[in-house]
Amino acid sequence: MKLELRDLQVRFGGPDTRPVASVPELTVDAGEIVGLAGESGSGKSMTILAVLGLAGTAGATVTGSVKLDGQELTGLSGAALRAIRGRRIAAIFQSPSLAFNPVFRVGQIVSRTLRMHGLPAGQARERADAAMRSVLLSPELLRRYPSQLSGGQLQRVAIALALALRAEVLLADEPTSALDVTVQAEVLELLRELRDSRGIAILFVSHDLAVIAELCDRVTIMRAGEVVEQGPTGQVIAAPRHDYTRELLAAVPRIGG
Amino acid sequence: MPSEALLAVRDLRVTYGAVRAVDGVSLQIDRGPFGLALVGESGSGKTTVGRAILRLVPAAGGTIRFEGRDVLGLRGRPLRDYRRAAQMVFQDADNSLDPRMRVGATLAEVLKAHGLAPRGAGGGAGGGAVGDRVAALLREAALDPELASRYPHQLSGGQRQRVAIARALAVSPRLLVLDEPTSALDVTAQARILALVRRLRSERELAYLLITHNLAIIGELCEQAAVLYLGRVAETGPTAGLLARPAHPYTLALRSAVPEVDAAARRSRIILSGEAPHGAPPPGCPFHPRCPVAIDICRVSVPALRTVAPGRQAACHRAEEVLAGLPAGTAAQLADNRPGDPLSTEP
Amino acid sequence: MIRLLRANPLIAVGAAISLLILLVALAAPLIAPYPADAGSATHPEIALQAPSLQHLFGTDQVGRDVFSRVIYGTRVSPFVAVLVLLIACAVGIPLGVIAGYFGGIGDEVIMRITDVFLAFPSLLLALAFAAVLPPSLTSLTIAIAITWWPWYTRLIRGQAASVAGRPYVEACRALGIPSWRILLRHVLPNSVTPLIVQVSLDFGGVILTASALSFLGLGAQDPTPDWGLMVAEGQNYFTTQWWLVTFPGLAILLAAMAFTLLGDGLRDVLDPRRVPLR
Repeated sequence: MKLELRDLQVRFGGPDTRPVASVPELTVDAGEIVGLAGESGSGKSMTILAVLGLAGTAGATVTGSVKLDGQELTGLSGAALRAIRGRRIAAIFQSPSLAFNPVFRVGQIVSRTLRMHGLPAGQARERADAAMRSVLLSPELLRRYPSQLSGGQLQRVAIALALALRAEVLLADEPTSALDVTVQAEVLELLRELRDSRGIAILFVSHDLAVIAELCDRVTIMRAGEVVEQGPTGQVIAAPRHDYTRELLAAVPRIGG
Repeated sequence: MPSEALLAVRDLRVTYGAVRAVDGVSLQIDRGPFGLALVGESGSGKTTVGRAILRLVPAAGGTIRFEGRDVLGLRGRPLRDYRRAAQMVFQDADNSLDPRMRVGATLAEVLKAHGLAPRGAGGGAGGGAVGDRVAALLREAALDPELASRYPHQLSGGQRQRVAIARALAVSPRLLVLDEPTSALDVTAQARILALVRRLRSERELAYLLITHNLAIIGELCEQAAVLYLGRVAETGPTAGLLARPAHPYTLALRSAVPEVDAAARRSRIILSGEAPHGAPPPGCPFHPRCPVAIDICRVSVPALRTVAPGRQAACHRAEEVLAGLPAGTAAQLADNRPGDPLSTEP
Repeated sequence: MIRLLRANPLIAVGAAISLLILLVALAAPLIAPYPADAGSATHPEIALQAPSLQHLFGTDQVGRDVFSRVIYGTRVSPFVAVLVLLIACAVGIPLGVIAGYFGGIGDEVIMRITDVFLAFPSLLLALAFAAVLPPSLTSLTIAIAITWWPWYTRLIRGQAASVAGRPYVEACRALGIPSWRILLRHVLPNSVTPLIVQVSLDFGGVILTASALSFLGLGAQDPTPDWGLMVAEGQNYFTTQWWLVTFPGLAILLAAMAFTLLGDGLRDVLDPRRVPLR
């Protein structure tokens, strides 16, 4: 198991308060895309923050275990976590423009991040360029400011950064919700490529069941902080066992009518 | 067959500075109950069309006629009257309600502004006859009349959107423009809003323009659909037919890009290269740089919107071929066959 | 109301002090031990006496009881300051809101006029106006108000322009709600917050400007117990007879602080997001 969550609970307040996210068991293996589906307030985004060790900054406490390749992440010191964050576990979020400081050129942000993780400057440039090509963007674009790139392009740069760092796990929190549907298709295709050719383990969070259905090998459905159903995507969709899952599936609009 | 359309837009042009957000769009909405879907992605101009119809942005050219009468030249009292007949539900439900006013007061304000509040009512939203009207509107939008005393931030996204709908209904409009009414909502809230629109459509014999990028929601609500790309109409026709057999490559790509929950409904994907450009469109067909089946003439000549089948219009030089269905295997080919340098620097 | 004050220590303190000042102003003749000293009485024989039991704040350069004068000052300085700010708001806010909401030519004209006023150092401008008017508190008030309104216009214009572009304002226009209503009920309440804070901070500034003008003989005239005037008059004695400047100065400080706290608290109270989520 690449990424393994066990009895993970995120709370605001004392140990008696109800957790905003409670995941008894969630695993993502190399070369698979696991979906985390739910509506707003389901706790899926808090789960991502907890995996990254960032829940504390939101004022929450985390109990339980998060293991990366068997190594326990909860309880690691700040410095140790920083070394892992970005380098081994990368994350992309819904609003790509928020991930890039608007006063810096995109390339500066990318190379600085690479250097921060120990890469010498020359190698940083090479890796960045190669990564950009992998996401089908011209390395030229690194010279632009975030405001000069579209949402789809920025999202792909964020993915390129994850690639350049040779991240083994990618956490994606609603990465395509703010994108046009045709652009979304491209980004999803890119994620599939990453899974297939590079064996990256991807945890994909979304409220869009149709995207999850198409993209994810396995899915975990959350509601109001709790895991409601889990299993291979095809199975969960064809034969949902929980009422909430049925409700969600029924609410998804279908083109065919 | 109604003799005269409720709303007829001909050759509408709207510019923001040098940018032609809407470049010659024509469409028609019949009397209610009737729904026209206006489909497009960012940069298509669909929201601008809705705004222009409601006189929220000035039109640079073209005509808009409502019940046969020109709309663009209205001012003063006639404009106020038009604003009762045609209403809009905005995209950003979170911000389309004044955060400092309680829900009831927001609704009461509309009633009072149009003289729809019976005299003798109390000043606030709670008073007498106005309060009753407000409660009735909230109930019609499937909301608990209790919510009238709440502030917008105390409601959920879905509830806020329903208040916005209730507000638009307060003036009993004949035409409703819904701008991405469900984009910011969870799927269950979205389902409820769509059900609400369906119900209002039959109860009030409403005619509406549904502006959206989500092809999955238009089937049940709209008889007709128009697809926009970069400010121009790519194709129009009955919704079912347009979705089943598109006559424009963009519609084809859009249709194929929509993710499907049911595995059986999935089709091979056409991946378009790049994204819609900002600013000036390229010469010739605006879609040609990304079009998987573009030929020489597409780079040079702008295709006109023409009838390619009964009830179907498309602006494409190869519309008939697209409509007839591209040769088997082409779709898969298209996915690999991206025109030009894949490492484009174009946005 | 009480709950409000309890939950908001800021506004409670500010309100308390303001109330105190008001009460003192109303009860001045009853509280001041030497009410005549606030008027034209002078006692040169007991001039410049240090604070004592008979004269809590000492006596000034012509023997008047400083304590009584400070008390009577509550009727003058804060009053002038509030009046100035009210006039400045009454003129500045409507102009700023109209300029921000409508834009175009009106905006240009209003802002250029504002620019002209702002181009002059405010003290000099007030001086110029005060000089052409007969020296009195009224002239002082008018002169300072004239130089103060442009700041508020500029401040609120930016806010109004931003609010004018917000979806709910656009929705109002689409709903056919008349412009004056939109301005009054939507644009104004949503633009005025930064102004509230600014106005409360300006309270102290106005008093100081008034004192400068009074010192130059262009505003309050002796024997009016204006705090600013007292500070100005007592300047020369500062190193030896510190009480002439210190007590009126403290009064200005207290009043300015009360107003500032009140402004901060008011801004918080007016924010509907403070109403807790259910």
